Amino acid sequence: MTAAFTARTEQAIGDRTLKLAIDRTTGTARAKRAAAVADWPGFEQARELGRDIKDHVIAHLGHYLAEFERNAIASGAKVHWARTAEEACDITIRLCRSAGARSVTRAKSMLGEEIGLPHALAAAGIERVETDLAEHVVQLAGDRPSHIVWPALHKTREQVREMFAREHADPGPLDSVEAMVGSARRQLRMKFMAADVGISGANFLVADSGAVCTVTNEGNAELTTTPPRVHIVTAGIEKLVPSMAHATVLLRLLVRSATGAELTQYTTFHCGPKRPGDADGPDEFHIVLVDNGRTRMLREGLAEMLRCLRCGACLNHCVVYRQIGGHAYGGTYPGPMGAVLTPLLDGLPATQDLPRACTLNGQCAEVCPVKIPLPKLLRGWRDRSWREGLPPRTEVFGIGVWRFVAARPALYRLATRLALRSMRLFARGGWIRSMPFARGWTAHRDFPGPARRSFMEQIRGRGR
Amino acid sequence: MSARDAIFAAIGADAHPAATAAALLARVPGLRPDRVGNDAVESFLARLTGPSVAATAARVASLAEVPAAVRDYLRVRGLGPRIALQPAAALRALDWAGLETHGGIAVDEAASVCLAAYAVAETGSLVFRSGADMPVLFAFLPMHHIVVVEAAGVVAWLEDCAAREAGRPAPRNLILVTGPSGTTDIEGVLVRGAHGPGHLHVILAGAGAGVAESS
Repeated sequence: MTAAFTARTEQAIGDRTLKLAIDRTTGTARAKRAAAVADWPGFEQARELGRDIKDHVIAHLGHYLAEFERNAIASGAKVHWARTAEEACDITIRLCRSAGARSVTRAKSMLGEEIGLPHALAAAGIERVETDLAEHVVQLAGDRPSHIVWPALHKTREQVREMFAREHADPGPLDSVEAMVGSARRQLRMKFMAADVGISGANFLVADSGAVCTVTNEGNAELTTTPPRVHIVTAGIEKLVPSMAHATVLLRLLVRSATGAELTQYTTFHCGPKRPGDADGPDEFHIVLVDNGRTRMLREGLAEMLRCLRCGACLNHCVVYRQIGGHAYGGTYPGPMGAVLTPLLDGLPATQDLPRACTLNGQCAEVCPVKIPLPKLLRGWRDRSWREGLPPRTEVFGIGVWRFVAARPALYRLATRLALRSMRLFARGGWIRSMPFARGWTAHRDFPGPARRSFMEQIRGRGR
Repeated sequence: MSARDAIFAAIGADAHPAATAAALLARVPGLRPDRVGNDAVESFLARLTGPSVAATAARVASLAEVPAAVRDYLRVRGLGPRIALQPAAALRALDWAGLETHGGIAVDEAASVCLAAYAVAETGSLVFRSGADMPVLFAFLPMHHIVVVEAAGVVAWLEDCAAREAGRPAPRNLILVTGPSGTTDIEGVLVRGAHGPGHLHVILAGAGAGVAESS
């Protein structure tokens, strides 16, 4: 493990408030998801269909992208293409500037975080107003999201109260979570109406209509995309579905897996700008379609990861995420899905610890609503980092020694016999409390004492 | 090479997949959650007022009785008689005596009255199609969102929305509203009225078709 990753995880594990905050939110999420799944006998079949729909789109991405573009343009949208995060930000900033934007409202989008849009807006001197309550908290704290569904999961109510009291114009008493939500509602209300541009992401891009589907529980997406003169959507090219009927299959899976509800409170299909005669809506509707590594995933054995709906279930069920939280991962996306995506986005040499910081217990794959084989993809990164010679020299040396011994059966049997005998010298009552070269393990927990004889010795002892 | 050309070049050409896309949808009816009984309207009301969606509902025999039902709701909640009335002809035609209706929507509007285009039994959702007679903000700015829906307009499944929309010009926004606005962003505690309405009240008008549609 690199020093930076070790330092981040040690800091996270030592933070008892963080652990409490993670346990509260992920515990509720797991329980609610389990209840929703138990209440749906067809869930397993639906996951298979969800997987097949996404695989179908990924196999025919060119066809569906062209169809989506054609229909979006016909609806009055302007479609833009970006190969990289930089191109996507440049296009978005240029659109904001040509709209004369001083203030921009944003509805939470993981793609926006991925391409660094918050930073790009700040650098361009444009006021950015995060409207999702959790993103609002994260923005006030000058922080980063730590979960893809609950970005402020790492903040306790006490911390939120302190920030709102300091930053809100009319905070009131803030003596309950209800009061805090009310204060944010008052604070953001005028911002929604005053924004020049509203920026959203997309949960689905519907090819046969050119519509963009967003899901929220707060209603902030529609308040972000309706009052301003310009609505900009930033979306990854993998968000495509053939039709609205295909989207409904995935919506059932997405919402249950994320929050345990059957449908988000507000599920909206945005199709083009304001029509002639419409009572409200933007004059301009722009869609920025972003690659940023997605076509590379097709080529580099990560096509299955393009199924991801960003539901967060793999985070909530991951034993590692639940110990260290989102920030320790160091990338935009945390948890198992993040450990697969971050090496692609940020480069394997700097991020090789992420696929290694995994127990491979398989929980993530079991709960994934589109059956992404996350452990397989994580092992793929481990293989690749080994082939590229990235692991630390001591580890490469250690495994080299083991391989030398393991390839020589007589030597291997001798070595295991000696190891057993010497380890037994340190065992007390069947457990090893400390032992040379094993402090990394025994500093935190006991190691089980070894058997009297090795497996091979026992087999031989039985005369086989 | 433009960004667009580069992305298409990286994906490569592919064959037209229309038949496969349709075949995937043929699997849907067998795996949907068991949410719709014989009566779509009863199923809709049960989901709508259940603990998950958490809306309230009243039934009236016809649209003509809607204003009285709105008055009842406002009185019980201790709200004033002022309502933002969606500029839909079917609502404007009703007798709103005793209420102060207006056609705009304020940022701190107490209550609006809207007419849903149709509703979905499976999820207890109300469907709105934006337009000249349906300003989107009527469904998002008020604290109390009062929604009229005709029983004959309750469809069974989410896929029925897609079927109803097929072949019609798409509105700017097609919105499925499933309960009042809520958030669990602070310590996972559910609070209603995050940015959108804190209360959703449905007035179901007329008798339903009785038997759930299938698709």
